[in-house]
Amino acid sequence: MKPMRRLFKQANIASQDNPMPAIADVLVDESGVIRDVSPDIPPSTDMKVLDCSNKILLPGLFDMHVHLREPGREDKETIETGTNAAINGGISGILAMPNTDPPIDSGGMVRFVRAMARDRSGIPVLTSGCITKGRAGKSLADLADMHTQGAVMITDDGSPVADPYLFRRALEYSRHFDIIVASHCEVPELSRGGAMNEGAQSYRLGLPGIPACSEEISIERDLRLAQCADARIHIQHISTARGLAIIRRFKEEGVRVTCEVTPHHLLFSDNDIQDYNTHLKMNPPLRSPEDNKALLDGLNEGLIDVIATDHAPHTRFEKELDFASSPFGITGLDTALISLFTHLINKGLIGWDCLVRRFASEPRRILQLEPADIVTGSTADFIVFDPNGRTHVNNSFIKSKSINTPYLGLELCGSVDMMVRGTEILLDRGGCRNEPLFSSKGGME
Amino acid sequence: MITEPNPSPVHSRKDLLDIESLSAEEINHLLETAKPFKELFTRSVKKVPALRGKTVLNLFFEPSTRTRASFEIAAKRLSADVTNLAVSQSSVVKGESVLDTVDTMQSMKVDYLVVRHGAAGIPNQIAKHSPASVINAGDGNHAHPTQALLDAFTIKEAMGDFSGRKILIAGDILHSRVARSVSICANKLGMEVGIFGPPTLIPHGHPDYFHTFNSFEHALEWEPEVIYLLRLQLERQSAHFFPSLREYHQVFGMTRERFELVSRKGIYIMHPGPVNRGVELTDEVLTYDRSLINRQVENGIAARMAVLYWLQPGIPSPTIEEKAET
Repeated sequence: MKPMRRLFKQANIASQDNPMPAIADVLVDESGVIRDVSPDIPPSTDMKVLDCSNKILLPGLFDMHVHLREPGREDKETIETGTNAAINGGISGILAMPNTDPPIDSGGMVRFVRAMARDRSGIPVLTSGCITKGRAGKSLADLADMHTQGAVMITDDGSPVADPYLFRRALEYSRHFDIIVASHCEVPELSRGGAMNEGAQSYRLGLPGIPACSEEISIERDLRLAQCADARIHIQHISTARGLAIIRRFKEEGVRVTCEVTPHHLLFSDNDIQDYNTHLKMNPPLRSPEDNKALLDGLNEGLIDVIATDHAPHTRFEKELDFASSPFGITGLDTALISLFTHLINKGLIGWDCLVRRFASEPRRILQLEPADIVTGSTADFIVFDPNGRTHVNNSFIKSKSINTPYLGLELCGSVDMMVRGTEILLDRGGCRNEPLFSSKGGME
Repeated sequence: MITEPNPSPVHSRKDLLDIESLSAEEINHLLETAKPFKELFTRSVKKVPALRGKTVLNLFFEPSTRTRASFEIAAKRLSADVTNLAVSQSSVVKGESVLDTVDTMQSMKVDYLVVRHGAAGIPNQIAKHSPASVINAGDGNHAHPTQALLDAFTIKEAMGDFSGRKILIAGDILHSRVARSVSICANKLGMEVGIFGPPTLIPHGHPDYFHTFNSFEHALEWEPEVIYLLRLQLERQSAHFFPSLREYHQVFGMTRERFELVSRKGIYIMHPGPVNRGVELTDEVLTYDRSLINRQVENGIAARMAVLYWLQPGIPSPTIEEKAET
């Protein structure tokens, strides 16, 4: 099909600067660049006009914590299905974690993932590389090769680098490449054998607990080492109020630390694990309602830099095992935006500015990528969201290869109607009426 | 003549998974139901036809002789047909899940599944999946509801009532499904519950109604009327919960010295069995006239008969697969 100009009429445009979206028209030209964003752009016959009244336009989200499982566990997810799930959920760029099988711990592996993504994905798929060879925590992986091939972060995600000496050296060495080191914080000796947060609920269910201090001690250690090494560090999936307080202290001391929170650590607590629902089992585990509150406050205050899903697909068979034996992790790409909309934005607990900043702008800034702002002159990279729509989270909606989400079988508010990237429409649920608002002759309403 | 107990206004349930989901009224109803069943044991024909034509499957993923035998006798005294199946938990390693095993069992159209498993929550999972009535015969550290019912029956038999009476549960509270179920049951029945053990084996986040003590002597000053000693899993030592069995016995066990005081006061002693002599208790406890340990075993059959008699097989709730389709 011949490229054409597209005019998004009467859209409510969400940005990182205003809690409430502002109405404007957006014109995307035939090369996929946003030509104009202004209150009333007159349509012409060579434009495809989309009525976006009552819809929200927001920058495509960027998820900097995704497990794509390829190579190694293609039965759970592939780069292709994972990116389809991302598009389905309004996420237009992702950063893959390196704990595949084999792990992404060399230039060759980074190259493989990048090449697969170019062939199979409609959105940018970036990848991280391991801090240590084989994620074994014994020796440093070849960083220069991985960096040259395009790795934008190093992490042993899934486990911490247990040896503080090695982690210190990794932080120092990373500075030469100005690559960010991301840390999964956990003291394995304290968390070993645990299945959920240690507390009243783990006692009630008779499940082995993971104490909050396991994560907090590790955050403290890693930030102190980053301070000592003067390196950039990103703390992954924080889950506790005390962990956040530690981050606050080091930020105040000037350490270059950023951190992320997952939607599930904002929206669920261990009290929700009522009947051994393995779709609420992840690492770090769901903590207390007080922790939910502290994380939400931290998000609004700006202490938490990023929302990321920690999308972790697992097979149905594995998630049907008993709670203690089933693997950690839930999927998030398909449902992150609609769940945050349903439970936070719709209830006035966060504004659209917070969502855009934490889930679109900041991850790109931290990874030194081009922004995806809806402004004149930038390449189109946005989604059309229907706040009045409903999404039924079932087999036909879910595009991930796995269905391990706590929202399975539930209906959520809002619907991602469309994803626009450059000249391409990657998703179109037909929510926007294609016929012009006005008569075909171009007369006004 | 005694026949079957009268139908009661307390509605039956499909499953018995834990004590927590039972009301005090339901617990009392089960204790009342167990009474005539126990009277039956003194007769020459110890059998009623209540479950004639029904099939009970004892599905034990964890080895057990006592509990399995108790359920088997209970079911047979209700005239049910009983099959015992010991399944290795390691079948999961071969790619077969517990639900696969249950599916196989389901093809045999059993009415009651008595399940024991080393992992918490397995009976809940099976109950959602199967139309058979599921009875939890012990799952990991979670629950052992029929143990709590037989214990409550035994306490009532010995003391007549529950209200305001004090029970001290001593030992490894953290890893004990018995402690969980017994404490919840005692609390629902109006008893006061004290717990005592090494701080390493006292759970974080235990219920507020637990009285806690910093020594056995201190616990005895609280004047408990029943001391419930838990079986210590000997492998806890290697996980550093305490330094040695010798020290455990001296500081946290029912030593001969403590037992002398206990017997002078006439405090009842209970234990879910089998006992570790010289660890949680001294030998003398076993011949003590106020030891209820053998009564617990006998009452186990009556309590389990009451449970089997009360439950009604029914319809399972939707599975993951069905949820995904909707």
